[in-house]
Amino acid sequence: MTIAGLILLPIDVSATQLHSNSEGIITHQVGHLFFLFSMVALIFTITGKGLDKQKGWRLIQYSAFFFILWNLDAVAAHFFDNQINAVKIENISFGKMRIITNNDSSLLAWFYYILKLDHLLCVPAMLLLYRGLSHLVDDQRQMMVKKDTP
Amino acid sequence: MIASFIPILAVDVLGSVAMVVISLLSLYKAKILREMDPDNAVFHYLLWISMGLTIFSVSRSFGHILKQFLVLTSNAGTWHSISAFSGSVNTVSFMLVGLITLFFNQSWKINEKILTGRKKLEDIHIELMDLNQTLENKVVERTERLTSSEHKCRRIFEQSLDTIIVTDSEFKIMEINPAGIALTGYARDEMIMKKMTAGKFFADPSEWERISNKIGSKEYILNEEIEFLKPDNESLLVLMTGGIDYGAFGCAKTYHFIIKNINEKRQMERQIAQADKFAALGELSAGVAHEINNPLGIILGYTQLLLKLEPKHKDDLKIIEKHVQNCKTVVSDLLSFSRKGSSELSIIDINKVVDGVAKFLSNHSDFRNVEMSLNPYTGDRLNILGNEQELGQVIVNLLINACHAVDGKGNIDITTQKTGQDNILIMVKDNGKGIGKKNLSRIFDPFFTTKPVGQGTGLGLSVGYGIIKRHQGDIRVKSSEGKGTLFTISLPADRTMA
Repeated sequence: MTIAGLILLPIDVSATQLHSNSEGIITHQVGHLFFLFSMVALIFTITGKGLDKQKGWRLIQYSAFFFILWNLDAVAAHFFDNQINAVKIENISFGKMRIITNNDSSLLAWFYYILKLDHLLCVPAMLLLYRGLSHLVDDQRQMMVKKDTP
Repeated sequence: MIASFIPILAVDVLGSVAMVVISLLSLYKAKILREMDPDNAVFHYLLWISMGLTIFSVSRSFGHILKQFLVLTSNAGTWHSISAFSGSVNTVSFMLVGLITLFFNQSWKINEKILTGRKKLEDIHIELMDLNQTLENKVVERTERLTSSEHKCRRIFEQSLDTIIVTDSEFKIMEINPAGIALTGYARDEMIMKKMTAGKFFADPSEWERISNKIGSKEYILNEEIEFLKPDNESLLVLMTGGIDYGAFGCAKTYHFIIKNINEKRQMERQIAQADKFAALGELSAGVAHEINNPLGIILGYTQLLLKLEPKHKDDLKIIEKHVQNCKTVVSDLLSFSRKGSSELSIIDINKVVDGVAKFLSNHSDFRNVEMSLNPYTGDRLNILGNEQELGQVIVNLLINACHAVDGKGNIDITTQKTGQDNILIMVKDNGKGIGKKNLSRIFDPFFTTKPVGQGTGLGLSVGYGIIKRHQGDIRVKSSEGKGTLFTISLPADRTMA
C-alpha cells in the first residue's frame, strides 16, 4: 500500500546534498595537509630504515622537507586569500599590484607577498629529489660494477 | 600595500617551467633506476612517486602560467571561470603523490621480502653449485679410479699367460684373452661372434657335461684337469678353475674361467717318470743280461761240442742250440736297451739310412698293400754322429709296428726334417688303429706287447728307445685311437761339417 501510494502520489524530495562554495578550498587544503603528512611520514620512514646513510636518500629526505615547507606555505596562502578572505590582490598597472588586507596590516601584506613566492620552496624540493635520484643511480651503477668484477 | 608584481610573476613562471623540467628529469632518473634492477620494489616506488610529481608539476605549472597569462592579458574573468578546474586537478595530483608516498613502507617491506627471497635463492644456488661441484669432483675421482681399475683389470686380462674366458649364462664365450686364443687355437671372431660354447674346447663331450653340471650345482670348479682338443686335433692338458658371477647393477650372470696349460708340465713329469722307470729297468736288464749271458755262452759252447761228439743226439742238441741262440738275442736286445752294449759311431746321413730301410721293407711281403711315402728333407745333408745299423734297426722297428697298426693295408709316411741347426727329425706316421690311452705310457716298457703270445718279444720299441737315448736323442709318440700314430725321433745334428 505504501509503495503504491508513493508511486501514485509523488511528492518533491532532495535527492542529492547541496555543497557550499567553501567546500572546494577545504578539500584543497586537506589535500595539501595530506601531502604534507605523507612527506613527514617519508622522512621518518627513511630515517627508520637507516637509508639516510646513503646520500641519495638523504637528499630525498631534504626534498620531502622542502615539500613540507611548500605545503605549509600553500596552506597559509590559501588560508588568507581563499578561506578567511583576509588578503586580496588588485592589479593597478603592469608590474604593480595592491595587496589589500582586512585590517590594513602591512605585516600581513608583506607576509602574504612572501608566501606567494612558493616556487622558491617547491623548485628546490624538486631539484633535491632529482639530485637524490641521480645519486641513487650512481650508487646502483657502482654496485653493479662491483658485482660484475670478479 | 602596493608592491612590485614582477618578482612574483618571474618566480611563478620560471618556477613552473623549472618544476616541469626537473620533474621530467627526475622521472627519467627513476626510470633508469627501475631498469637497472627491475625486481627492486623501492625503485618501482620511486618511479611512481616521480610520475605523480611530474603530473602534479605539469598540472600546476600549466595552471600557473595560464593564470599569469590571462591576468596579464586582462582576462581575469576567464581565469576565474577555469581556476576551479585547475585547482581541482592540482588537488588530485598532490593527493596522488601523498598517497603514493604513504606506500613507501609497504614497498620497502615487499622489497625486503623480495631481497630475502633472492638471497635465499642465491644461497641455495651457491649451495647447489657447491654440491654440483662436489658431485662433479666425485664423478671425476670415481671415473679416474674406475678407469685405473679397468685399465689394471684389462692389463691383467690382456697380459695374463693363463687363459681367461668370460661366458654368458649358457656358457657362450663373451670374452677371451690373447693367451686363450693362442691356447685354444680358435680365432677370436669365431669364438665371440659365433657365440661358441666353452664345451667345444673339450676333447671329451661327457667331460664338459660333468664340468658344466658341477659348476651349475656348486657354482665353482677348482683345478679340474681336462683334456682340450684344438682345431688341428692336437690335444693338450689344462687345469681349469671357474666360478659364477651374478653381476651388478642388473647385469646378467656370467661365468669366469681361468685355464692353465699344464701339457708340457705333465709331459715333462711323464718323461721324468719314464726315464726313471727306464733307468731302473736298464739297470735290472743289464744285471740280468750279464748274469744270463755267461751261462748261455757256456751252454751254447757245450751244446756245440756235444753236437760234434754225440751225433746220435743231434736233433735234440740242435733244439737246445736254437733256443739258446734265441735267449742270446733277447739278452743282446736287453743289453742294447740298457745301453750297456758298445757300438761304433760314425758320421751318417739320415736320409740315406731312411731311404735304405724304406727300400728294403717295400719289398717285404707284409708291406705289399701298404702305401709308403718318403718325404726326405731336401736341404743340407742330415748328418749325425751315430751307428747306422742301430738307427736302421730303430726305423725298421717303427715301420714294422706301423705296418701292423694298419693291418697290412694303409698309409705310412716317413718324413725327415731339420729344425734349426741342432736337430734332425725322423717322423713315422701311419693311419692305423692308433694306441689306446692306457697303453700309450707303456709302449717303451721292455716286454710290453699287444701282440699275441709268441708273435713279439715286446723289446722292439724298448731297444729303439735305448738306441735313440744312446745317440743323445729323443723319441716321442702321439696317437689318437682310430686315427693313427706318429713317432717322432729327434737326433742331434752333427756340426763338425758345419
